[in-house]
Amino acid sequence: MVDQTPPGRGRRGVLRRLAGAGAALALALPLGLSVAAPPPAAAAEGDLKVALTSDIDTLNPFLAILASSTNILRFQYESLVQYGTNNEVVPGLASEWQTSPDGKTWTFTIPADRKWSDGEPLTAEDAVWTFDAVKNEEALQQANGGLVTNVAEVTATDPQTLVMTLNSPQAANPGAELPIVPEHVWADVDAATYENDTDTVGSGPFVITSYAQSQSVELKANPNFWRGAPKISGLTYVSYKSTDAAVQALRTSEVDVVSGLTPAQFQSLEGQQGITTNSGAGRRYQAMAINPGAVDADGKPLGNGNPALKDKVLREAIITAIDNQTLLDRVLQGLGKPGQTEVPTVYPAYFGFAPGATQRTFDPAKANQMLDEAGYTKGADGVRTDKSGKPLELRLMGRNSDPTHQQLAEFIQPWLRDIGIAVEVSMVTPNQVNDDSTLGKYDLYFTGWGIGPDPDFQLSINRCDSRPNADGSGSTSESNWCDPAFDELYDAQHAELDPAKRAELVKQAFTMIHEAAVNDVLYYADSLEAYRSDRFTGFTKQPEEGGVVTGQNGYWGFYDAAPASAAGDATGAAADGGVPGWVLPVGIAVLVLAALGVVLGLRRRSTAADRE
Amino acid sequence: MTLLGADEALVAEQEVPAGSSLGRYLLLKAGAALVSLAMVVVLGFFSFRILPGSDPAINLTRGRRVSAEEVERLRVQFGLDQPLPVQFLRYVRDLFTGDLGYSYVYNQPVAGLILDRLVPTLLLTGTAAVISIVLGLWLGQRAAWRRGSWFDKVQTGLALTFWSVPTFWLGLLLLLVFAGGLRLFPAGGMMSPGSDAEGLALVLDVAWHMVLPVLTIVAVVYAQYLMVMRASVLEEMTADYLTTARAKGLTEDKVRTRHAVPNALLPTVTLVFLTLGGLVGGAVTVETVFSWPGLGYLTFQGLSAPDLPLLQGTFVVFSSIVIAMNFVADLVYRVLDPRLKAA
Repeated sequence: MVDQTPPGRGRRGVLRRLAGAGAALALALPLGLSVAAPPPAAAAEGDLKVALTSDIDTLNPFLAILASSTNILRFQYESLVQYGTNNEVVPGLASEWQTSPDGKTWTFTIPADRKWSDGEPLTAEDAVWTFDAVKNEEALQQANGGLVTNVAEVTATDPQTLVMTLNSPQAANPGAELPIVPEHVWADVDAATYENDTDTVGSGPFVITSYAQSQSVELKANPNFWRGAPKISGLTYVSYKSTDAAVQALRTSEVDVVSGLTPAQFQSLEGQQGITTNSGAGRRYQAMAINPGAVDADGKPLGNGNPALKDKVLREAIITAIDNQTLLDRVLQGLGKPGQTEVPTVYPAYFGFAPGATQRTFDPAKANQMLDEAGYTKGADGVRTDKSGKPLELRLMGRNSDPTHQQLAEFIQPWLRDIGIAVEVSMVTPNQVNDDSTLGKYDLYFTGWGIGPDPDFQLSINRCDSRPNADGSGSTSESNWCDPAFDELYDAQHAELDPAKRAELVKQAFTMIHEAAVNDVLYYADSLEAYRSDRFTGFTKQPEEGGVVTGQNGYWGFYDAAPASAAGDATGAAADGGVPGWVLPVGIAVLVLAALGVVLGLRRRSTAADRE
Repeated sequence: MTLLGADEALVAEQEVPAGSSLGRYLLLKAGAALVSLAMVVVLGFFSFRILPGSDPAINLTRGRRVSAEEVERLRVQFGLDQPLPVQFLRYVRDLFTGDLGYSYVYNQPVAGLILDRLVPTLLLTGTAAVISIVLGLWLGQRAAWRRGSWFDKVQTGLALTFWSVPTFWLGLLLLLVFAGGLRLFPAGGMMSPGSDAEGLALVLDVAWHMVLPVLTIVAVVYAQYLMVMRASVLEEMTADYLTTARAKGLTEDKVRTRHAVPNALLPTVTLVFLTLGGLVGGAVTVETVFSWPGLGYLTFQGLSAPDLPLLQGTFVVFSSIVIAMNFVADLVYRVLDPRLKAA
């Protein structure tokens, strides 16, 4: 006979249903518990946990290039001089320094009480060893080779005195930026392959103790740090592969600091209990470059830029038709500062125009008038023709990896249409943008640079001799623009040792780039970050007014951080980062139920076989 | 014997000449796998070199103070100054010695970088695969046996719904609800940072971190196992041998578990192995959402430079897994199907 009893009925069916109910209960129980009683707030103890949303290449200071790595290494190694809370040069390993009148000899004094984290004395010999290593070994130039090209010789006249001789005078302090490493550690290893990620020796406020690739980096407070030991026990960087996940981790107190937020993420965290958001002035400018007729290093035409753009009037009209304030308000939701020259607001000494120069104001009527007067006549379809009679059609290129580029293009395209210029927008890969812009294969494209505390490098890539070779190799040019008068200004500021006079020259040079209408600076986006103010406090911003906590030119942000007082902090999840207590019983329950299911299944089978 | 079964046997016989031994069969399949692997090596080497903007020396130094000489030196260091055929021959030579090259970005041997991340990836995808296969096959045969019933409709509908959900979206949703909202699970990673747990505590920690990513993968992939198993069992439902079994007086459960399911498993197991290889590569999005320290993110990082040795390495590893799984599928099919064994 065919047994028509459906499975699941009978004695064993009951058992199985019981097991099912148990499983459901096991799943529902923690849900109910967690909703009913949120875990109590942990006292602010332990390391400050910082979300890391981009990868680390290496923690070897001679090789590390990615910003995530160099930002961590800023806590590990002190330089001869440091950038202060307002981006000014302040003492680092050296307490004072003198420059010879010709600007070619710099003498640094390193106090006798400087110590490495392992207690060994830190002397001028360590600095000499580091400079020589970078100068003499090509393999060690990957990260900081550019910092020593103008350095001819470094000697220690005594353990407390370092003398640096330069090839040519320079105003920028040559002791900045280069991480000085302990000779007693690095001389005994192959510096080009040393991973430097376990129980390291450093001179900064925190020292790397362990590193799990793609997971976390741990740093402990350095008790020998010359400014005094930090108030927190250490820093732990926790890797998150999307900022969305990092935001969730901040909400649950799995991390204490998150940076690199989008405006939407930032706004979702505003006003949350225990969380403080900070929209800090950024170091990066966002611009639209206009191809002024690119040429290569030999002066031969490069790429395929629209020749009409060689006319400065056309370039100025384009800039006049773009409303920077609207872009800032609509693309960044106002979280930024309106653009002026390429130097952002965080460097007040160099920010802004030279006397007499002003910003071009948004004025489509004026732009139209400029083009009318210059002889670009409008056709029946509203598109102007250039001086050779061809319609004015321009390409606008941006990165498909940056959503703001597409948004910017959506505003700029109709604005330029209003003044009779047709624009074709294309969003391509970052590498494609790099290649095409270097080779002059563009009319307009979105660009941007992060600016360091010293403006010399940014100016240097606008010199005539920074133009690339015909195949794109060789030097880097910011906008493929060249003006001998600019080169003179560059040379003057490069060697001007008086800070006030140099600042004037720098502003004049940046104003000259602005007036050439080759790189329209739209805005400086804010750096959006958030932290658990119920757990930690005392973060120092750079600059102190309206600046950032993360990604500083320095170590101030976390060096000054302190645990928040236990009183006053309300709710928050378990902050020790461990496994909550319910996991073990529930895990065991799940395993037992699974085993029970298997056993029941097997028993069914065996008894059935017996009955056969 | 159904008509389809006869067809399958015929196809199998054409692939492997009649009378061939198991050894010959193995050789043929292994040879085919090696040819595929060789093509992967060639393809991997050349395809990453035709990416636009793919000069690693320029991309790696972009935006930093470097002279033209430094960029050129980097190019020499990477071996990019050599003609392409020379670069290729060097690559193949190193490959034979197990040397996958030296990563431009990470300044480490590629083999070590990949190995470090292969273990977490295999742990995640392996666990998810076992659960989704068991779940899919079990639900599939139950659904087929009670075709058209409430159980069948609900299970099939549910599975197909999850199957059509974008993995990324489902992962983010689980993250928002169970990590951000209910705070039951961590927002990412494989273990708690800074904890020095060992033994059971470590296992528990990793298991706790695995729940959401495994759940995401299982939800999205178990449907294919369910659907194939269901179709296979349905195929067997009208077979004569089931009537015979019932005539012997076997219970309906026995007929299903002892007669219908073993026969239906044959095409299903082959499919299972074919999909396993793809599962490893397909975990990339889940790894990204849950910050799992696996191979996916490494590949993503490699693309930005492009870090050619790293990309070639991950490409070869991902492809090898797929090729190996296909090879295993061939073997398992041979072992499971008595008709092929007899041939």
